[in-house]
Amino acid sequence: MTHPESTQPTSRLDPERVPRRDFLGLAALWSSLAAGFVALLGILRLPKAAVLPAPSRKFRVEVPESLAPGVPFEPAGRNVTLFRDQQGSVYAISKVCTHLGCIVRTDPAGFHCPCHGSNFDSLGEVLKGPAPAPLAWFAVQRASDGTWIVNEGQTVPQGTKEG
Amino acid sequence: MATAECRPALARFWANLKAVPALFRASAFRAGSPVSDRSRSSFVFGNVFLHLHSVRVHRWTLRWATTWGLGLITLAAFLIALLTGILLMFYYKPYPAVAYDSIKDIHFVVPTGRFIRNIHRWSANLMVVAVILHMARVFYTASYRRPREFNWVVGMVLLVLTLGLSFTGYLLPWDQLAYWAITIGANIAQSPREVTDALGLTAWFDLGGLQKLLLLGSDEVGEEALIRFYLLHVMILPIALLMLLAVHFWRIRKDGGLARPEDADGRLPAPARRLFPVFTQLPQKTYHLAALVRGRTPAMGPPENTLPSLPHLFYAEAGVLMLSVFICLLLALLSDAPLKELANPAVPENPAKAPWYFLGLQELVSHSAFMGGVGIPALVMIGLGLIPFLDREERGTGDWFGGPGGASLVVRATAFGLGACILLEAFTIRFGWLRQWWPEVPQLAITVANPGTLLALAYAWYSLWVMRRFDSTRAGALALFTCFLCGFVVLTVIGYHFRGPNWDFYWSPSQWPGH
Amino acid sequence: MKRRKHLLLWTSLGTLVLLGWAIYEEHFSQEWRLLQDQYRMRLEPAAARSFAVQLRQIVVPALNTTDRCVSCHVGMAAGETPIEGHPVFGSHPPVAHDPSEFGCTVCHGGQGRATRIADAHGTAPFWPQPMLPRGFAYAGCGSCHTHLAVTNLDQLERGRSLVERFDCLRCHELEGRGGTTRPFQATGPPAPDLSAVGARGFSPGWHDQHLERSRDAADGYWKDSITVLDVGQRRDLETFLRSRAGAPGLVESKALFHSQGCRGCHKVNAVGGDDGPDLSLAGQKDPALLDFSGLPGERSLPEWLREHFRAPAKVVAGSQMPYLGLDDEQIEGLTFYMLSLRRTSFPEAYWPPDRVRAQLLGERDFSADGATLYGTFCAACHGPRGQGMRYPGTSAFPAVANPDFLELASDEFLLTAIRRGRPGRRMPAWGETEGGLTETEILTLASYLRRLGGREPEPDGQPARWVRAEAESGGALYAQNCASCHGVEGQGGEGTALRNPVLLESASDTYLTETIWRGRRGTTMPAFSEASTIHRSLTRPEIESIVAFIRSWETRP
Repeated sequence: MTHPESTQPTSRLDPERVPRRDFLGLAALWSSLAAGFVALLGILRLPKAAVLPAPSRKFRVEVPESLAPGVPFEPAGRNVTLFRDQQGSVYAISKVCTHLGCIVRTDPAGFHCPCHGSNFDSLGEVLKGPAPAPLAWFAVQRASDGTWIVNEGQTVPQGTKEG
Repeated sequence: MATAECRPALARFWANLKAVPALFRASAFRAGSPVSDRSRSSFVFGNVFLHLHSVRVHRWTLRWATTWGLGLITLAAFLIALLTGILLMFYYKPYPAVAYDSIKDIHFVVPTGRFIRNIHRWSANLMVVAVILHMARVFYTASYRRPREFNWVVGMVLLVLTLGLSFTGYLLPWDQLAYWAITIGANIAQSPREVTDALGLTAWFDLGGLQKLLLLGSDEVGEEALIRFYLLHVMILPIALLMLLAVHFWRIRKDGGLARPEDADGRLPAPARRLFPVFTQLPQKTYHLAALVRGRTPAMGPPENTLPSLPHLFYAEAGVLMLSVFICLLLALLSDAPLKELANPAVPENPAKAPWYFLGLQELVSHSAFMGGVGIPALVMIGLGLIPFLDREERGTGDWFGGPGGASLVVRATAFGLGACILLEAFTIRFGWLRQWWPEVPQLAITVANPGTLLALAYAWYSLWVMRRFDSTRAGALALFTCFLCGFVVLTVIGYHFRGPNWDFYWSPSQWPGH
Repeated sequence: MKRRKHLLLWTSLGTLVLLGWAIYEEHFSQEWRLLQDQYRMRLEPAAARSFAVQLRQIVVPALNTTDRCVSCHVGMAAGETPIEGHPVFGSHPPVAHDPSEFGCTVCHGGQGRATRIADAHGTAPFWPQPMLPRGFAYAGCGSCHTHLAVTNLDQLERGRSLVERFDCLRCHELEGRGGTTRPFQATGPPAPDLSAVGARGFSPGWHDQHLERSRDAADGYWKDSITVLDVGQRRDLETFLRSRAGAPGLVESKALFHSQGCRGCHKVNAVGGDDGPDLSLAGQKDPALLDFSGLPGERSLPEWLREHFRAPAKVVAGSQMPYLGLDDEQIEGLTFYMLSLRRTSFPEAYWPPDRVRAQLLGERDFSADGATLYGTFCAACHGPRGQGMRYPGTSAFPAVANPDFLELASDEFLLTAIRRGRPGRRMPAWGETEGGLTETEILTLASYLRRLGGREPEPDGQPARWVRAEAESGGALYAQNCASCHGVEGQGGEGTALRNPVLLESASDTYLTETIWRGRRGTTMPAFSEASTIHRSLTRPEIESIVAFIRSWETRP
């Protein structure tokens, strides 16, 4: 469509002469849009929590001295299995499947995930199934009073033992 | 052959893909970019959010002094509260054991949480202030008159919903302030018992107890009350308010836009541009037909003193909206929303004060629970609702303080309203009331004759006198409305500033004992 | 149109400015962020690169703890390196409990959820439990260790003076003092720290082991710093060592509290008198609810407690608590103990042994010897030696260790008096359901009284009620001779309230007649067998008639 820009409109079907370079109007519109945009950024900031309401990932556990080598010890309320080896050293293996986060079952041969059938050996290495990586090992530390401190926040290379 | 057919289809696909942005724009803005009057109208018309507006507004409506944007500010405050409220729901947990902690978390660790909560709080307050002022504007410009009576009533329901939203939100932080304010509020709901007790009816008909039970779901403010208040605050009241808001806005259009004086066209300055005659074109849209239905045939009317809503009205609306945002943000940055210690049912706050807009009521309640909490507010609401049906006069519609008496009557009514209220309160504070003079006086006597009822009677008497003197219902309404507004302000100020522990009178909070 | 555009433009720009301000407040000016920036600058470059500026917290669901204190005190956060000596970033002093397992506020008070200094430390309005001030930090142990067993104050003092006398602190460290000398050689291991030896336990043969080492040593510290202790010294020293549970100050202040007889009027953990308020939660008082009018200094709970101990009636109008004349050190000690009374509720799995022993097994947190029991529950009113007391503005409290009294009072009379008290008077009933003392403890108390006064009861061949006299003439004699002290109606005054059901029920006629006949030397009660300047002598029949008159109160309402 072409509009006669120079003449007065005679009916409502004609375009009104709007000054297209209306600096004031454009500034007002753009600044309001900018304000809305910055406000939107602030709003989007809100749902991402700054701290998670999770308890400390470090916990203290008493591993029985009599625990036989290779027999899993599972502290209540934590998704970690602890083992002693022949020398009496202690290591901790995560029970969270590396596929989609189900909690694996501990059996004498290793670990078995009930969700999609991944199997791990007793050191957490993948034997079968969709799991892309071996089970994580966590840092273990002996406290002065003889208990063990497991840090779920700190993974260590497979085979790292303590004691 | 198959490949030959395939090639153009692929090419078409490619072309269509390239054209997606343009096609999308065209589908979103069906009438093209709003450059002409006509396309702007179509734009407003075809947009679900904008079509509540008429496509053209009268130039009287666009004057600042017509509305001072108060209704818009109320809407803006509501929208801000709605948005921030939804955001707060990400973190708020409506259960007594964790509600307070979740507010602490919002205050201290949620990114932007404190700011959002402050905005929510201030926008709620702004909404209450603006809605009261908006009602005063509508009243003083006599805009409630035919055909807008119904919208006035809808507006009153919206006022009640606004106060309800603000009040239910008050409990949610579950701190001492909230807990005791709500305890008082719930007992005001129970106050009809004062009358049923006095009449010996409570055993058969316990309206007050029922109201309190429905509100709290229990005898005391507890977890049941919290979940009820939460439900009311985030679900029932906002939905009700939104629906009525739609009715309110729709009625503005259907009632012919904002009220304006008969001679508005003459009083406006000459338009900068030439006016179009009314409907020189054939009716092409339903709104043209609507004009026909109202009895204005095309090409017959005088030139219309109107401007297209887009951009004229929308600039004004966006400006007022942004102004409200600015006010809320500024207040939110300057002052944090209060959060006192965790609610403790064993240690009452002293003084336990209701939200500020109920402090006038609390002052009345300190004289008589029923009259202050239920009787007088109900009378006021009924009176307000009746105004448009009793005032059938025509003079002064659309003008500030229009009608017989005018501004000078309002000034005198203000003086009377303030004076009567202050005198009566001063007398009560200084000399006490019936119970202090005759400790044996029956409760019913106090319910009937207390400073609150006396004040209402004085106002009623004054406005009847004004009505007779000016021989005008409108004059009486002006006097009565002004008086009650003044009474509300005085009582609120007394309750907010001059009442201390045990609801005793203090010149300033700094004189409170133990602080 | 132009004005509308201006409105939109300027409000939008204003909103943008406000949003910028909010971003600054949220993102750049928060105290914890500034502090973490400072912390990061003090780190080694490699550590600084891996250090994330973010909120940190310790969450212990069982204790309902969410403590963000470590957002500023970064050095105490799990896995971060402390900057030694720094007031904010330093490490936590060695304590019995790992802060990362218990959180901070459970001991220190304050507001764990807050992330601004004033709010977190609790100095902001509306926070009812502000942090314990620095000097009172160990009072926080009282939140869990509500029943920390303490021994007698004298014994503690004896043990402490032995530690000083034999210079144990030359090698051993104790509560931050001593331990400068290495016992073997300058580079050898230090001697064990004794600060928490009571909790850790020590070998019962420590004394002999020290002597053996000393014998074997050729020269040096081992040779010339070990002395042979006698049995009593060893007992005192071991008692003292057992009390070192890693909470310096708390044990002493609690022992002081017990020695002052405060529990004669105040209950703590359901044991104590009922004349004054229960103190079990005295350390949790909300400062905002206290009356500070007329008090100089800051408006904090410790300050209020100090002033209160200095002059109770000045702080609490109409307080019944007497002026105790405490010195500054005692006031500090009692304030410390009051602040430690901040029992919090949490699952039994977290209860410390002392709480388990006290609440589940019924063990005591005060030692059950007579001296401690008397000091804890009786001394405040009856005087440290049972000599009776008179506080300014109160009537006299009876001298319960008075030899004349103890000669006449049978054991049963003493036990009943302690067990059932004097209803309506300030003497509370100490039986298990009221004052909370066990039968054994009451027996111990009674025999301790005998030891204080050094008298056994005289044998009494008469039945409990043998007086057969006529009460009417006794009434006249009572009015002449007794009413001025004991009150016209026996309601008491300067003298004991005789019209007391428990007294009348448990006192034998012999006790009453002989007390009147002999009087009580050392008190204001004269012997009526002889005349004095203010009264004539009474004959035995006259005394019996007075007793009959007193007895008549039993039946008269």
